[in-house]
Amino acid sequence: MDSHSANPASEEKSQKKGRILAGFLAPHPPHLVYGENPPQNKPRSQGGWENLRWAYDHCRSKIKALKPDVILVHSPHWQTVVGHHVLRVPQLSGLSVDPIFPHLFQYRYNMEIDVELADACAEEASKEGLIAKKMTNPNFRVDYGTIVSLHMLNPDWDIPVLGISANNSPYYFAHDYAQEQMIKLGEATRRAIEKTGRRAILAASNTLSHLHFDREPDIPEDMSREHVYSFEQYRWDMKVLELMRQGKTDELMAVLPEFMEKTAAEVKAGSLVWMLAAMGFPPLHAQVHGYGSVIGTGNAVVEWDLTQPTHSLPDSGDREAIVCPA
Amino acid sequence: MPGINCVTKAFIVPGLPHLAFETPENTPWRALQQALQQAGEEARATKPDVLVIYSAQWISVLGHSFQFAANPQGLHVDENWYDLGDFPFSFKIDRELTAQAEKLAQAAGLATRLVDYEGFPIDTGTLVSLQAFNPDNGIPVMIVSSNIYAGQEDSMKLGEAMAEAIRQSGKRAVIINCSSLSHRFLTEAVNPAKDRLSSPEDDTWNRRMLDLLKAGKNQEALALGPDFAQQAGAEMGFKGFYWMMGLLGTPAVPAEVLAYGPVWGTGAAVVSYSLN
Repeated sequence: MDSHSANPASEEKSQKKGRILAGFLAPHPPHLVYGENPPQNKPRSQGGWENLRWAYDHCRSKIKALKPDVILVHSPHWQTVVGHHVLRVPQLSGLSVDPIFPHLFQYRYNMEIDVELADACAEEASKEGLIAKKMTNPNFRVDYGTIVSLHMLNPDWDIPVLGISANNSPYYFAHDYAQEQMIKLGEATRRAIEKTGRRAILAASNTLSHLHFDREPDIPEDMSREHVYSFEQYRWDMKVLELMRQGKTDELMAVLPEFMEKTAAEVKAGSLVWMLAAMGFPPLHAQVHGYGSVIGTGNAVVEWDLTQPTHSLPDSGDREAIVCPA
Repeated sequence: MPGINCVTKAFIVPGLPHLAFETPENTPWRALQQALQQAGEEARATKPDVLVIYSAQWISVLGHSFQFAANPQGLHVDENWYDLGDFPFSFKIDRELTAQAEKLAQAAGLATRLVDYEGFPIDTGTLVSLQAFNPDNGIPVMIVSSNIYAGQEDSMKLGEAMAEAIRQSGKRAVIINCSSLSHRFLTEAVNPAKDRLSSPEDDTWNRRMLDLLKAGKNQEALALGPDFAQQAGAEMGFKGFYWMMGLLGTPAVPAEVLAYGPVWGTGAAVVSYSLN
């Protein structure tokens, strides 16, 4: 029996229409967890990457204040070949060691999965004509992208979560085909949230520019050695962030293919487009909480707050009326 | 680089999890499974002291990683095909040989790392290989990652450094390059009996490469490698083959293709070289 289906509170939620409260661009370099030294992570650091960690700090209190039922995360490090998968085990726990940076990330996780929402997401994705699968193996090791984004948004882990895989089709097929799938997946996710009555936070676990150095300093957190990979990469990141800040979602979508090509941007994995589609491509001024590089990659913590009184419907075109959050 | 006379056998093998579990009769997977079993038996018959594995599914970024835990153990679940079954594992690393190989690779100018962490995720390809070649885990192993940033030249250099370490140790070694040929997956459900290559072009490229290997034209295979990697979408740019030829000194030895066929659209071949 799953943890939600027989739960009266869950049934109550399902009777009211759910909604997405906010979406976050929530990059997942394991360095951010390492720099914070939480008890779940074995390696110890002397800090590092504060601009990004403090950016996440701002988000944590806002998320708690919104009282969400669930945080959904789309992670490029759970790569699936056939279709789009959702975690569908009520409780997943274990030790996650990053195969790339094992010296930084050896994290003991324990997460409650919203399996009712997982079922709904899979069902709605299937209705969109997508291949959708439910991951039901209790021995499954959750990927570090999922864990890092969720930890940085809510280190207390006291809100149920739902992990969604990144289908590899962007790397096999044309960009358009892949993004079309992510738009369908986003729309399916939104319907699943609405039908199950969930108050949901979305997290797109994506780095921006993704070219990086293949050697690190002896002390990984030595910030005197940290800088963005190239000036061109930095300029691309700023261009994309400025479009987000100005709420120019259509222009952002238009520029993404070139951004991916020029900077190997990790948004190619589809997380950002999934989230924007789920939110209805809101012409909303996003708040950039912080930007910084991690081993050369460009990372930003960005929030789209859909609870703003001035937030308009996605197709209203009422961009000037939207107030940029302080 | 002269040939290495303490390597008895070398293999190219696929590493997808479908080959590790029971599969229906009369499918391409069953033929590949049987070939893997045969390869394992051939390898063990030479009584090796160590199995040396390059796994294209163990992807590293900060140079080449060498597994250095004395006894990696745990339970692995494939991230794609988690419903096929689990991989419980416990095997021994030849730490002495590994330390020397890493040292020599670093001296050759390569970025290298020894990894020794509880819970480090062992990749599916390594475990599929171990199941076939080392079913009772009685033979110590050395495992090296596939560096995403390494080119073909560096991959050969890595193989040369590891060859030198083996030569210095005097150990009898079996070499395993765990890599697909073409690596384009079918992206829908697949009936094992009707599995097929993702495209006829991929099949043509794979067969062209295998013909060179069967003819002992390994030098020509290296020359064709960049085109093959690009056109067939070879797994990790076909770098495992460059590593293997670097290690073996590119011998003009013909290979035997024990099996070739599709696994979920990718090109899977079990290729055996008899050396000494």
